[in-house]
Amino acid sequence: MMSDKQIIEGCVRHDRKSQQELFDRYSRFLLGVCMRYSTDKAEAEDILQESLLKIYFNIKDFSGTGSFTGWLRKIAVNTAITHYHKNLKYRYHIDIDEYVSVETGITSFEEDFFTSDELYKVLNELPTGYRMVFNLYAVEGYKHKEIAEILNIDTNTSKSQYSRAKAVLRGKLEKLRTLRKNYTGEG
Amino acid sequence: MELRELFRSRLENAEIVPDPSVNSKLMSKLARREFMMFNPGRFNVYYLGSILVAGIAAAIILSSGSDTSAIMTDDSLKTEDTVTSGIPVDTRQDTVAAQTIPNIVTDGNTRKAISKSITKTESSSEILKDQSVDNAEMTPLGHADVLPAVSKKDLIKKDLPDSDKLMNRDKGVEGLFVSSVSEGCVPLKVKFINMSGDFDSCRWIFGDGGSSFEKAPEWIFDVDGEYKIVLEIYSSGKLIASSSSLIKVYPRPVANFELNTKKAIIMNDEIHFINYSTDAVKYIWDFGDGSHSELFEPQHKYRKYGSYDIKLIAFTEYGCADSILIQNAFSSSEYFIDFPNAFIPNPNGPSGGIYSLKSDESAQVFHSVFSGVSEYQLKIFSKKAILIFESNDIYIGWDGYFKGQLSNSGVYIWKVRGKYRNGETFTKMGDVTLLKN
Repeated sequence: MMSDKQIIEGCVRHDRKSQQELFDRYSRFLLGVCMRYSTDKAEAEDILQESLLKIYFNIKDFSGTGSFTGWLRKIAVNTAITHYHKNLKYRYHIDIDEYVSVETGITSFEEDFFTSDELYKVLNELPTGYRMVFNLYAVEGYKHKEIAEILNIDTNTSKSQYSRAKAVLRGKLEKLRTLRKNYTGEG
Repeated sequence: MELRELFRSRLENAEIVPDPSVNSKLMSKLARREFMMFNPGRFNVYYLGSILVAGIAAAIILSSGSDTSAIMTDDSLKTEDTVTSGIPVDTRQDTVAAQTIPNIVTDGNTRKAISKSITKTESSSEILKDQSVDNAEMTPLGHADVLPAVSKKDLIKKDLPDSDKLMNRDKGVEGLFVSSVSEGCVPLKVKFINMSGDFDSCRWIFGDGGSSFEKAPEWIFDVDGEYKIVLEIYSSGKLIASSSSLIKVYPRPVANFELNTKKAIIMNDEIHFINYSTDAVKYIWDFGDGSHSELFEPQHKYRKYGSYDIKLIAFTEYGCADSILIQNAFSSSEYFIDFPNAFIPNPNGPSGGIYSLKSDESAQVFHSVFSGVSEYQLKIFSKKAILIFESNDIYIGWDGYFKGQLSNSGVYIWKVRGKYRNGETFTKMGDVTLLKN
C-alpha cells in the first residue's frame, strides 16, 4: 500500500498509478468538500474534476509540511470559489446591504439529529451567494473581511448574507425535523 | 450545539462517493492535458510506443520485399514469395512522387519565426504583446530524448537490386523518421530526425514550401495549418524509399482588451473590462493586485491606491495562448479633478459661484469634484470662443451668469489647468451643457 509521500512523489512525475491511487484515496473526501459549494451532485463532480486536475498539475507545490488533506481541501475550496466567480454572470446576484438579524427556527442542535445527507441537501438549496458565505465562514473558518476579498463583496454584505443563510438553514432544518416527527411519530 | 458548529463538525470531513464515470472522464482529461503540456517524461512513452509499432510494421513490410542479404538472386525472389504469403503488404502510394529523379531545390532550409511583439506607448501606459506564455503550452525540442531505444538502422536495406528498388519506391514506409512533436501552437519549431540506415542523401519536404537535405533538420512552421512532411531517401541518385507524417499547427488567439475608463479612478470604483480578444475560448485575467478572473468580461474593484499592470491571457480550445499586458493601466491615484457635463443654473440671479457640496446650490453651480489639487485655473468659453468665466479658486465655480445675465442654454467649453499636491501638473478640457428648467 502506497504511503501519501509515495503517492505525492509519483504524482509529481505524472505517474499514472500514483494519480489513480490519489483519486482512490481522496476523491470521496474532496467530493464531500465540493458538494458543500454546489447545487447538486453533478455540479459538485465538475468542481471535483477541476480540483483534481489542479491537484495533479500543482502537486509539486505541496511543500510537504502541513497536512496533505489540508492542502487538498484548500485546492477544492479555491476551485469552488473560482467556479462561483465564473458562473456569477449567469446568476442573478442579490446584494443585501443592511445587516439583518433574524432569529427563527431552531437555535440549538443535537449533533446526530440530522444526517449529513440532510445537511448537504439544505446547503444545496441555499441561494449561491448565501451558500458561499456560509461555507467560508462556518466551515472553512474565514473571517468576514477575508470572505469579502475572496468573493469581491463588502464586509457588511458578507455578514448579512451569513446571517440570512443561517436563518434560511434553521428554517429548513426546522421543517425537516417537523416532517420527521410527523412521519415517525417520534418526539 | 450551534448551527455553525453542527455544519462544521458534520460536514468538514464528510465523504461522498463520486459517480463511476468521474474517474474515467478525469483520467482522459488528465491524459489530454498532459499531452498538450508536452511533458518529456510522458511524451517519450507515446512516441516510443508508436515508433515501435511503426518499426514493427515497417520491418514486416520490408521483409516481405527483400531479405537481409545484399545480393538478390532469382532463388531468393522465390523465397520472398513464400515469405510474403499471408503477410499484408503496404501498398500506400501517397508518399511517393513520380519515379523520376526529382529536381533538387536549393532554397535555404532554415527560416526564423517572424517576431511579432508590438510595443505601443500611450500616455503613461504601455501595451506589450507577447506571443508565448510559458505555462500555457510548451513546444520543447526533444533531441536525444526522442531517439527510441529500438534501433531501426536496418530498416532500409543496402544495395537493393533494381527489381526491389522499383517495388519499394511505390510503397510509403512509415517510421523512417521521427519528429519532436506532431502538433502544437504556431509558431511551431519541430526537429526531424531521419532514422533510416545508410543512404547517400535524403530530402525533406515540409509541406509549406520549404525543404531540406540535412539528416536532422529543424523547421519552424509559422503559419497554422496541417502539413504533410515527406522524407525521401536516395541512393546513387535514385529514390529508394520515402515516408510521411502529418504535423498539425494550431493557430493562436489574439488577446486584446480595454478598460471602460482610463482616467484616474476613485478607490472602489467598479472597473469594467471590455474583451476584444478573437478566437479564444478561455481567459485568465490578472488584475495586478493579486486577484484574477476567468470571466469573459469581468468587473473589478481595486481596494488600494497604486499603479496596476493588467494582463489578459486568452486560450484557444487547443490551449494555444496569446497575452497582452497593459502596464500602469490607469493611475489609481488619490489626486484627481473632474467636471460634470451639464448643470442647471439658478434662474433667480447670480450666486457668485461659491458652492459647497452640502448646499443645494451646488447643483446649480458648475464646479469640479477633486482631491489633492494645490493650484487651479478654470476658464469657460462660449462656443464662439468668448471667455465667459474664469476662476483661480477651486471653491468658486460658474453660476451660469455672464455680466449679470443668465447665459443661453447650450454647450460651453471648459479648460482647466493646475497642479496636484504631489507636484504633478494637469491640463484638461471638456464641454458642459447649460440647461434651463
